[in-house]
Amino acid sequence: MRATSWRLTMEAGPTKAKPVNADFAARIIKQASRPALAIGARITEHERLIEFVERLSRAGVAIIATAHAIRYTSERGIPAYKAGVVEATHLLTDPDWEGFDGKGKPDLLIVFAINLDLENQTFQTLKNFSDVKTLSIDRYFMVNATYSFPNLTEEAWLAQLDELCQKLGV
Amino acid sequence: MVTKPKKVKITKAESPTIKIGDLVIEIGEIEEDTWGEPLGPSPKPSWTELREWDKKLLNRYEPFYSPTCDMCCLCSYGKCDLTKDRKGACGITQRAQQARLILLECVIGAACHGAHARHMLEHQIERLGADYKIDLGLNIETEAPIYRTVIGKKPETLGDLLEGMEYAEREIQNLLASVHTGQEGDNLDLESKAMHAGMIDNLVKEIADLAQIVGYDFPKGDPDAPLAELGYGSVDKKKPLILFIGHNVAPGAEVITYAEAYGKADKVEIAGVCCTAHDLQRRDKSAKIIGPLSEQIRFVRSGIADVIVVDEQCVRTDILEEAMKVKTPVIATNDKMGLGLPDRTDDDPEAIVDDLVNYRIPGAFIHKPEKVGEVAVKVAERIAAKRAEFKGRALPEEEELKAEAARCVSCEKCQRACPVNLHISAALLEAAEGSFERLASLRKLCVGCMRCESACPRDIKIVSLMEKAAEGETYSQSYKIRVGRGPILDTEIRNVGAPIVFGEIPGVVAFAGCTNFANGAQEVAEMAEEFLKRNFIVVTSGCAAMAIARYKDENGETLYERYPGIFDAGGLVNVGSCVANAHILGAAIKIPYIFARRNLRANFEEIADYILHRVGAVGVVWGAMSAKALSIGTGLNRWGIPVILGPTGTKYRRLYLGRKDVPEKWEIYDAKTGEKLVTDPAPEHLAYVAESKEEAMVAIAKLVMRPNDTTKGRQIKLAHYIDLHKRYFGTMPEDIHLYVRTESDIPFNLKEVIMEILREKGWKERKIPDPTMLPRLIMKKKEAGK
Repeated sequence: MRATSWRLTMEAGPTKAKPVNADFAARIIKQASRPALAIGARITEHERLIEFVERLSRAGVAIIATAHAIRYTSERGIPAYKAGVVEATHLLTDPDWEGFDGKGKPDLLIVFAINLDLENQTFQTLKNFSDVKTLSIDRYFMVNATYSFPNLTEEAWLAQLDELCQKLGV
Repeated sequence: MVTKPKKVKITKAESPTIKIGDLVIEIGEIEEDTWGEPLGPSPKPSWTELREWDKKLLNRYEPFYSPTCDMCCLCSYGKCDLTKDRKGACGITQRAQQARLILLECVIGAACHGAHARHMLEHQIERLGADYKIDLGLNIETEAPIYRTVIGKKPETLGDLLEGMEYAEREIQNLLASVHTGQEGDNLDLESKAMHAGMIDNLVKEIADLAQIVGYDFPKGDPDAPLAELGYGSVDKKKPLILFIGHNVAPGAEVITYAEAYGKADKVEIAGVCCTAHDLQRRDKSAKIIGPLSEQIRFVRSGIADVIVVDEQCVRTDILEEAMKVKTPVIATNDKMGLGLPDRTDDDPEAIVDDLVNYRIPGAFIHKPEKVGEVAVKVAERIAAKRAEFKGRALPEEEELKAEAARCVSCEKCQRACPVNLHISAALLEAAEGSFERLASLRKLCVGCMRCESACPRDIKIVSLMEKAAEGETYSQSYKIRVGRGPILDTEIRNVGAPIVFGEIPGVVAFAGCTNFANGAQEVAEMAEEFLKRNFIVVTSGCAAMAIARYKDENGETLYERYPGIFDAGGLVNVGSCVANAHILGAAIKIPYIFARRNLRANFEEIADYILHRVGAVGVVWGAMSAKALSIGTGLNRWGIPVILGPTGTKYRRLYLGRKDVPEKWEIYDAKTGEKLVTDPAPEHLAYVAESKEEAMVAIAKLVMRPNDTTKGRQIKLAHYIDLHKRYFGTMPEDIHLYVRTESDIPFNLKEVIMEILREKGWKERKIPDPTMLPRLIMKKKEAGK
């Protein structure tokens, strides 16, 4: 599969994301020891997004609610850690950080529904200053993640998210 | 203290033993000390002298990097790929490279304000003389708090300020040299140098604004500065209109002076975009502000301007090309941008006017402000009738809009180029069918960068179509803004010093900076209103001050009409242009000086230490774009003031983040006892990016907390923090236990709930210290070494 960065100027250098589909993404998540999902202010961009957060939480993915997304996770009773996206990313660059629960640092950060600039810069920080793998399941190809969905129409994106959850058994 | 060259001339002297004729003795400098304050440890500090202070800050607030580019292309060894653990050919690491770029941007910012200050100062000295007194009136004795603290002198005349300029220019040169290949390679030293550049930036902005306040008789801290007009609807389109773009008001002020002198003041319309507009209004309140930076090309394309005068900073580099499309001549006035135009500075004004009015030249470069005054007024008057077909009629007609929109092939290249990811193609498709609402709605979110047009393979003039769709609202609206008042009065500081330091006024929030907003300008006004209602002191400047003005309530009033301009609880203070925002920092510096009687003179560290631990001020730069905004913010950080950036601020590549989960990062001394103790993580961060306005508002309420808050003050601050957290996040703050020091800190009505949380967290009561990070400020000397 080939993909180009949604915003062409986000291409930062020679190390680029591998484009993946829902099936591949599910395998990455299953292989991770401590996957976490960061969501942000764009969680209200489509009414179904919070549903996917809930399903991924049920699949054992820890939820990090950035910006004011904690409001929406709380309303749905989804357990989540609250942190600014830059705060969470900063913690992930610390090799000695023991995670929000004190049991270990996430080894995979899944991201969607965050402001695109912030999403991209999050991937850039983690690519350069951590060993944490990153997976973008946003509708735009995020070239600086380790893995990313390609650019998708809204309809195709929601279908991919649905398939991803199904592959994870939720 | 005043430093001046002295000359003694004896034309004739005779005594029985000596005879003198035409003897001239010149003494280089005489130091006249008229300021009784003892000299502090760091007069005109080099970077090395403040490096230890920076290291203290950088230990607590770690640099957080997010590169926008993984490569370095600054020398011909490269490009070098620095991703992850790789090094460049010069040995540089990714961290150091990011810090190096930050330093470069801060130096660019400081140089920009410095060159502006130099130009303004020399212009005023040329007009008024070096001995012209700096007099800001009876209520401002502390005329230059930044200058006094950094330079260690009290400037009394315009000429005195030259010493500060010389210091700044030397430091800027040194800092820029550090960026060169094979120089500084340690990211913390590079960050420390960026802070030095930021401090220099703050200094030169103060010099620039002092020079123009004194020289042009701008308001001198007037809390009742008049209301003035902003918006497209504020200008009389029937009059010849001169549009000013940029930051340096010298040519604009001369245009006003010329118009006044020759009875033209009522015959031409003076308007501006960006900071020059603020300063035009400070010179003459009848001048109009069109809007912030984002309105630049849109207004130019409207064709309303009959002549455009550009000075420096934030001027689009394609301004001439755009102006020519609507037959508006351009006058470049400053050596920072000549635009390729012929230098007509020494030519006869009538000859220049004739060439411009008859379009023999598209514009002229005239770097003498007084001559610009005459030429601009005459060109505007004579050309207005000739270009009537363009004036306000340059936008496409509705049928043209539909036809243009229909050419869109929905390739989405516009959206992919758009910094705010606007769904432009979808709006164009609807416009092609005659429905313009969606396209019009995009205007409020558009930052006016024009990248969509540049990316469009069909060359559709997207911004002009958007403008046409929103024409009805844009062209009719006018708003009230309070004229930039400049400094904060010493008398105001006397009133608010104690309540700010003790926390009873919950905080000072300063909205400043550009219009690179992720979700439109209205968010700035909404945030400002929230904190005005909560009795914070809200201060603003630059494009942010304009964004606040472009928001009316249901009664049609802007925040400037509803809130007083006083520097006190519930006041909305517009200080003016970007250089005027030096007075916001100046107010923070005056608090330790006036309220706490700390010495300013060459006493940077102590003043910054005081502000960091006691003055609950926070800056919000919601739409930061420029290198200048970065250097201003980095300077504020060095003085101990935290800054919150909007989402686009993440592309500056670096933040300063605290770790509230690491207690040893928050070690301070109790100045009274010398005891080393861990204090509350306040302020938690020095440079932070918030993703949404909701997150920013909660962050503001948290970042105004200071270790020195009294229990009453902390109660008030906690009440705001908890209330905003519950409102926007729907929950109690999870870190409340870190900010409750004693039970008396807990807001009365929340006692039961919070005590329950504290019990769960295993909270223990803590001492409220007299906080400092500087061992030399410990009063019990023998314990200082601990």
